[in-house]
Amino acid sequence: MTIIMKKPLLSAAVLLLAAALCVVSLASDFRAMQEREPIYPGPGVTSVRMLSDWFPGIYGTPGDTEVYILEGKKPGSAMLVLGGTHANEPSGMLAATLLVENAQPEEGTLYVITHTNQTGFTCTDPQEAAPMRFTIDTPAGPRWFRYGSRASNPIYQWPDPEIYVHASSGQQLSGSETRNLNRAYPGRPDGTLTEKIAYAITELIRTEKIAVEVDLHEASPEYPTINAIVAHENAMGLASDSLINMQLEGMDISLEPSPKNLHGLSHREIGDFTDAYALLMETSNPAQGRLRGRTDEHLVVTGQDKFYLKAFGYGRLYVPYDENGHPISQRVARHVTGIAAFANSYTEMNLGGERGGINLGTLPGYEELESDIGPYLCPKA
Amino acid sequence: MQIECIVFFVMLGVFLLGNFLLKLPVSLSMVAGAVAGALAAGDGIPLRHLFEGTFVYLDTVLIIATAMIFMTVVQEAGTLDALAEVIVSRFYKVPAVMLVLLMIIVMFPGMVTGSSTASVLSAGAIVAPILLLMGLPAPTAGAFLAIGAVLGMAAPPVNIPAMLITGGVDMPYIGFEGPLFTLTIGSGVIAALFLGLRHCRNLDYRVIGRELDHETGKKYGLKLYLPLVLLICLMLACRLFPNVVPTLGMPLIFLISAAVGCFTGRRFPIAASIREAMRTTVPVLGKLMGVGMFIQVMTLTGVRGFIVDSCLGLPAALLYLAICTVMPAFGAVSSYGSASVLGVPFMLALLSTGNQTVIAASLAFIVCMGDLMPPTALAGNYAAQIVKERYSKVLPQCAVPVLVCILMGLAFLLNSGSLGFLVP
Repeated sequence: MTIIMKKPLLSAAVLLLAAALCVVSLASDFRAMQEREPIYPGPGVTSVRMLSDWFPGIYGTPGDTEVYILEGKKPGSAMLVLGGTHANEPSGMLAATLLVENAQPEEGTLYVITHTNQTGFTCTDPQEAAPMRFTIDTPAGPRWFRYGSRASNPIYQWPDPEIYVHASSGQQLSGSETRNLNRAYPGRPDGTLTEKIAYAITELIRTEKIAVEVDLHEASPEYPTINAIVAHENAMGLASDSLINMQLEGMDISLEPSPKNLHGLSHREIGDFTDAYALLMETSNPAQGRLRGRTDEHLVVTGQDKFYLKAFGYGRLYVPYDENGHPISQRVARHVTGIAAFANSYTEMNLGGERGGINLGTLPGYEELESDIGPYLCPKA
Repeated sequence: MQIECIVFFVMLGVFLLGNFLLKLPVSLSMVAGAVAGALAAGDGIPLRHLFEGTFVYLDTVLIIATAMIFMTVVQEAGTLDALAEVIVSRFYKVPAVMLVLLMIIVMFPGMVTGSSTASVLSAGAIVAPILLLMGLPAPTAGAFLAIGAVLGMAAPPVNIPAMLITGGVDMPYIGFEGPLFTLTIGSGVIAALFLGLRHCRNLDYRVIGRELDHETGKKYGLKLYLPLVLLICLMLACRLFPNVVPTLGMPLIFLISAAVGCFTGRRFPIAASIREAMRTTVPVLGKLMGVGMFIQVMTLTGVRGFIVDSCLGLPAALLYLAICTVMPAFGAVSSYGSASVLGVPFMLALLSTGNQTVIAASLAFIVCMGDLMPPTALAGNYAAQIVKERYSKVLPQCAVPVLVCILMGLAFLLNSGSLGFLVP
């Protein structure tokens, strides 16, 4: 300290130089998050469009993202799957990717967005210490994916207000929720970037007459709404029927009604503002929980954590938890099985009427995926 | 002993060693603690995490820096002197009422912005000279400001810890006005009278009048108050009409108001005053950066999970004890962090014990006390700086009011079921 007091200019110069070196050496790490992981569209993909096609207001912005369209052999109703709304909930993005690379619909059209909030994948959340990437082992070798932030990248939307006021309801939330896509629906054409992305998705649903919309999420094991479907009141019949089919496949899952006074969420606003059956699925991700121990790639992929094991022992969790954890293959399996069940129930209940049903073709079953998702996420040449 | 426990003690040990034995600034001691923790956990020197952790306080740093500029401007321009003269000459005959009014003035910016820093740096600067004139010793006056600031942060309509807790359990932030208003106004009145009344029972205006500046107010008139009025108007406009008024952000609001203040009162050397304001602020900003690194390493190494898990494993009675002690203590690192990291799991643990809105409000109220906990102690540090006193002298004066606040919060938690009538 004496040196600093005696030679302030020299000290300042040394510190500035050290800071500059840190910034330069770290820049490549942070910039690497801008690189998008490759997605390999499978034989079922008939076209790839950009979300800005439905709302040009996000054209050329970091919020624009690919929409994969899988048209079935027979015309029918349309279904939209949203993965990667929250980039720190990776099983949604992986399940959507798995659909893009493997699904071959027989009837109807499947729209899939793998990175719904694309900007969330370009940064991590300060103080969460999350890894920037994780890898899935496949028969063709390891494949990397980004692990990002729950919210839009503040580089593109800053500063946050102290209080976030949801535009159409006036509901107040903490200012940091301003960048949470799943608090921004139905969105605004002249709002923030996050609100514009939400608006673009709502426009896609309206324009393409999407019949079923499924938003894929994860939550921490101590959170009450977990391993669950959350359904808008209009979609409760569809969700109940699907639930029974999922339980028959061996999945332990519950059904929650979408709260009427909690605004901005997809299952509430898309249900209220469009004709789609709005559904949301939650799986259990210990890597985003508050009780987790060491935060690293191993935790993201295996979902194994000793503190969660202890917390289950004294009854603080809302899901069963043992030393096997909640591996990502199991979480992806839950999402894919759920999506298939929604499509099947929609068709069986004849909810599409003259428009026809939705048949996603043959998808890998729950047990198959639970044991290993690697074979379904093989990188292709 | 678990590795996370060892890492925690290494982090704390190196921090204390650096701060107390080597007399390093708190900021550098926090950095040293974070690096030592990462090394002990086998993570080497995780440059990315040290860098990233600081960013959580970027907005706070900008608010503090600009608020300090604003405060310096209104002090130098004579606005505060004039305001003190007006308030004292109107209310000196009823000191109890004056104390309560001053407490509400200190709380007001925090009520609107949810920030104790905004309270202490704006209204605190106005009220401090009045309290000193009324005869409160500097440490007591500092405690008055610090308590008022955290109560303002907790008071409705904006309580950010409550928003963070409700956001974590998907509960709407609705119906909090009743419980938060009762808790904060009740505590505010008690704290104001407890801290102030014994020092100013018999105010002699002839004595304190000599200390007041009677000239500046007369010379510049109402325009002297323009920066304050503008500050309040901009804060309210952004809050009340969010769809009409663009989000300016607190830093810009403070800067605009400060710029106006440069031309509405006494002339003063602007550049030199701002430089001096920044010089006194930098240590606190550095402290925040150090804390950011410290928390990020705690999360990386699993220490954060170890602390949360240890608290949640406690039996019911000890769980309430942990709520009253660990949650405010975690505020030494960050109150918002405490609300998110500890408040949400505690909320989940108590969900079925009574009225959920009252429970969340009580937890958020207790969390706010964390803004008085060293080493960050944003409210306390700035209150001490305003009354030109060391924080170590101000902190003991806060002890009784904080204890009363925590006990009130605990009483609300334990009786949340029967207090449901406070929620419309």
